[in-house]
Amino acid sequence: MSSSTSKAIDPSSVELWDHSHHHHDVLSTRTFGFWLYMLSDAMIFALLFAAWGVLSYSHSFAGGPIPADFVKPGYAFLQTLALFGSVLAYGFTMVALKNGNKAGVISGLWGALILGAAFLALDINDVVHLLDAGITPQRSGGLSAFFILTQTHALHILFGLLWMLVMLVQVSRFGFTTEVVGRMLTLRLFWHFQAVIWVFVFVFVYLRGMLI
Amino acid sequence: MLVDLQGPWSPLLGRLALSQIPYENHILAPLFVVVVILGLAIIAAISYFGKWGYLWREWLTTVDHKKIGIMYILIGLVMLFRGFMDALMIRTQQAMAVGPDAPGYLGALHGYLAPYHFGQIYSAHGVIMILLAATPLLVGIMNVIVPLQIGARDMAYPYLNALGLWVTAAAAALVMVSLFVGDFSHNGWFGIAPIFELSYSPGVGVDYWMWVMQLTALGSTLGSINILATVVKMRAPGMTWLRLPIFTWAAVASNIIALTSFPALTVALALIGFDRYLGTHFFTAGLGGNLMLYTNLFWIWGHPEVYFVILPAFGMISEIIPTFSEKPLFGYVTMVLATFGIAGASWAVWLHHFFTMGAGPAVNSFFSVATMLVGIPTGVKVFNWAFTMYRGRLRFETAMLWAVGAVFLLLLGGLTGMMLAIPAINYMVHNSVFVIAHFHQMLLVIVYAIFGAVTYWWPKVFGFKLNEAWGKAVFWLFTAGSVLVFVPMFTLGFMGMTRRLDYVFNTQWQPLLDIQVLGIAVYSLSVLAFVGMLYVSIRDHAKNQVSVDAWGTARSLEWMTPSPVPFYNFAVVPHINARDEWAWRKEHGFTDLRPDHYEDIHMPKNTGIPLILGALMFLLGFGLTWRIWWLCALSLALIIALVIIRSFDSDTGYTIPADEVERMERGHHERARAVDLPAAGVLGGAIAYGQADPAVKGQGAALGGGMTSPEGSRV
Amino acid sequence: MSHDNPLQHPEVQVASGRGYLLTFLVSTLLMGVALFLVTSHSVAPFGLMLALSLCAGLAVIVQIYFLMHMDLSEAQIWNTFALVLTIPLFILAIGLTAWMFQELYQRTMVMLPGMPGMLH
Repeated sequence: MSSSTSKAIDPSSVELWDHSHHHHDVLSTRTFGFWLYMLSDAMIFALLFAAWGVLSYSHSFAGGPIPADFVKPGYAFLQTLALFGSVLAYGFTMVALKNGNKAGVISGLWGALILGAAFLALDINDVVHLLDAGITPQRSGGLSAFFILTQTHALHILFGLLWMLVMLVQVSRFGFTTEVVGRMLTLRLFWHFQAVIWVFVFVFVYLRGMLI
Repeated sequence: MLVDLQGPWSPLLGRLALSQIPYENHILAPLFVVVVILGLAIIAAISYFGKWGYLWREWLTTVDHKKIGIMYILIGLVMLFRGFMDALMIRTQQAMAVGPDAPGYLGALHGYLAPYHFGQIYSAHGVIMILLAATPLLVGIMNVIVPLQIGARDMAYPYLNALGLWVTAAAAALVMVSLFVGDFSHNGWFGIAPIFELSYSPGVGVDYWMWVMQLTALGSTLGSINILATVVKMRAPGMTWLRLPIFTWAAVASNIIALTSFPALTVALALIGFDRYLGTHFFTAGLGGNLMLYTNLFWIWGHPEVYFVILPAFGMISEIIPTFSEKPLFGYVTMVLATFGIAGASWAVWLHHFFTMGAGPAVNSFFSVATMLVGIPTGVKVFNWAFTMYRGRLRFETAMLWAVGAVFLLLLGGLTGMMLAIPAINYMVHNSVFVIAHFHQMLLVIVYAIFGAVTYWWPKVFGFKLNEAWGKAVFWLFTAGSVLVFVPMFTLGFMGMTRRLDYVFNTQWQPLLDIQVLGIAVYSLSVLAFVGMLYVSIRDHAKNQVSVDAWGTARSLEWMTPSPVPFYNFAVVPHINARDEWAWRKEHGFTDLRPDHYEDIHMPKNTGIPLILGALMFLLGFGLTWRIWWLCALSLALIIALVIIRSFDSDTGYTIPADEVERMERGHHERARAVDLPAAGVLGGAIAYGQADPAVKGQGAALGGGMTSPEGSRV
Repeated sequence: MSHDNPLQHPEVQVASGRGYLLTFLVSTLLMGVALFLVTSHSVAPFGLMLALSLCAGLAVIVQIYFLMHMDLSEAQIWNTFALVLTIPLFILAIGLTAWMFQELYQRTMVMLPGMPGMLH
């Protein structure tokens, strides 16, 4: 910044202060931050998958039951249908939101909630049966990785269902305020992301587990 | 589902019993008395001066990014002191326990610390220094400076910012509680698999360690989201990416690393938790577990974490050196690229922490080469700093001394790092104190940069400069201490001394260990000098008042705000015209910082919820450590309930009318003018204030005095 | 960029019933194909893993585009950018881990020739 290179600038041509009444976009700031959180959450799943990769060799099951003995791929496909259906219902909720249709949003949320609960019920039923059959996470490192990975996903579903209940109350109480719409958008990111994770869980844990 | 515990357990108190309080310990019991007396004295003083309301309204419930940053820095300084005390004990124990004839005191066979106690000390030292000293200090400085540098009024999510602070505070509280209730882990700061498994470490030490680390991981993730969103979404108009101040760039790179790598720590620790609480077999030695999987997961976080803490330090150096060289930063674009080069490479080097695992030549070679690649962008940075100083008008004020010192340490630490990147050498010195000396050089780069940054930005935050003479004394004492401790440590490493020794078998090492004790004594003097510097500076603050541009040659946007910065940062958001906006304005004579008119400002309201959430997180961590299940369930339920209740509250902001803004701004400008007048002739002093009212020098300039917000607290 | 009515925000307006339905159909179909390939035992293990990965990859790409609306529009560019920046890190973390442990197991575990492993 030596003064020899500087040229005189006409003060009237320079804008020094921002008087443009520029408002920052609250909604996209909100969704961006939440999306960053989702990416960090995705990293949690990535590392659980890495752990599953390391602990799914045949010796990881310590001579105990291996996934090929107990995984029921058809049953897991039922879970897939329930979850994808729930995600589709939430998609239609967002279409209703776009049209400002409050009744549509509420019934869409109920649809997503019920199908999500169905997914969770299927999952819990599966886990209870496995535990009854002595197939427990305490049996071997491979089973530890199997249970913790699948149930971490299930925990996310549980959290999403709780969030949907809160949104049902807020939509009917407050209508479509900026806060409520912001939460509907972040819940969309959260819920739709669970479908992405489930694709990997279904293919690389359940289906690939059949091959161990 | 839960594992059977050895030892007593009760539904009400879990594993907690009176016998878990180490009241017969000759070091902890007196310390506990001191802590209680100090705590009572602080509480009494606050009550006596009637400051509870002030504390609650202005600090505990604040969402102001500057105050949150200051509280982060306070936590960091307190924990830095605690970590330093641990280091003092490690150094003295090692020098006292040399050879079989070394006498033993306080129940130890040699020296004065029993092996079990010594193990807790070095574990706590590592955890505290990295996660609860370096991280909060850096996060705190980023919190204060980044919004100012990009022309924002606050963070993107002020409420989340406060939450991150209180979660970090909960972690700090939990590690302090472990001193007096139960014990801490003795497995090293990174956890040694499978010794942390319940069967080998049946006590609560590992649980404390695990939950402390989990809480800091949560706090750091929240903080990183906030800074990234702030920089992406809240920049002032005209602040294009290539006009971003270099420290903000460093903060972006660093927080990308934090956002993506902290989940690895979360996973690694959660899996230990499942092993210890549910009896799974992730990291057990048998039944299909793999203990190296833990080491792998930990360092997937651990190495990026190293760069998470060092990149902001590089950013600070890059801000200080141009200011005191009176030149723009050399090679701005290459600096940004180098920052991201280091951040990217940090993701492919983690195996160099365990070359000796035996993954084979192909794997070791890959990670060795990747590690050496880090040297290229780091070298670019060192040359950029050197070229910035070349032919500059150098002023070796305290902040500059710290920055230049950091560059020298970086050379030493970086070159020994290159040696360690070679697997053949690494096998020889693995787990020796040579490695310890290497990474302490790197961490000292951070400490130097932090001290430099605190000196550099202190006047911006508090409105007066730190005492130069005392500051230089701190610098030289600290540097002498570093040389005396770490040169012998490098030497001992080559001589084969391994890390974590509570007893040193080789009596020939005694002289070198004694020099290290001398070094730690000099370090202690530097700590005293630091306290002296704070005392003298605060005592004389009225004499050391500064105006907008405290150093006269600063270049970036934060130096356009009044010192101390008002709670709304910028009365009117500036329009950015150049990379170093303030330098550009000074060059072209646009130094009048009063816009033609003011507008309403919208600010977030204070809230006590983050503080309560932090307290509940602490209770959750405590309950989990001691397996007090009712406490865990209760605090978790309350956390979820509070988050939901808060989401029903839409009244979270308030507006300051334009005339009120103008009135406050006039006060700031009058104070600045009063301070500036004697300093005429300095570039920064040439600020035009027009005909203002008589000077109000010294008024409202007490610590944080200009930062008081009119908004009351609200839970 | 001011939106007084939050429903007019581009991230609300991007919702598309047809896109969501299409995603549901395509990803269910792909998962069905993957299921069939595994249960019918008609493909050799290596090819099967390849086919399974392909199904998963396709389904995820469709979901990310139509469900998550990741594209280069002004409203979404930063979300897309963040995702693109993070995906290599997922690949590095999983890939390098898998690689180093496969090498480790080859050197340290008894792996008989016909013994089924996970990652080859």
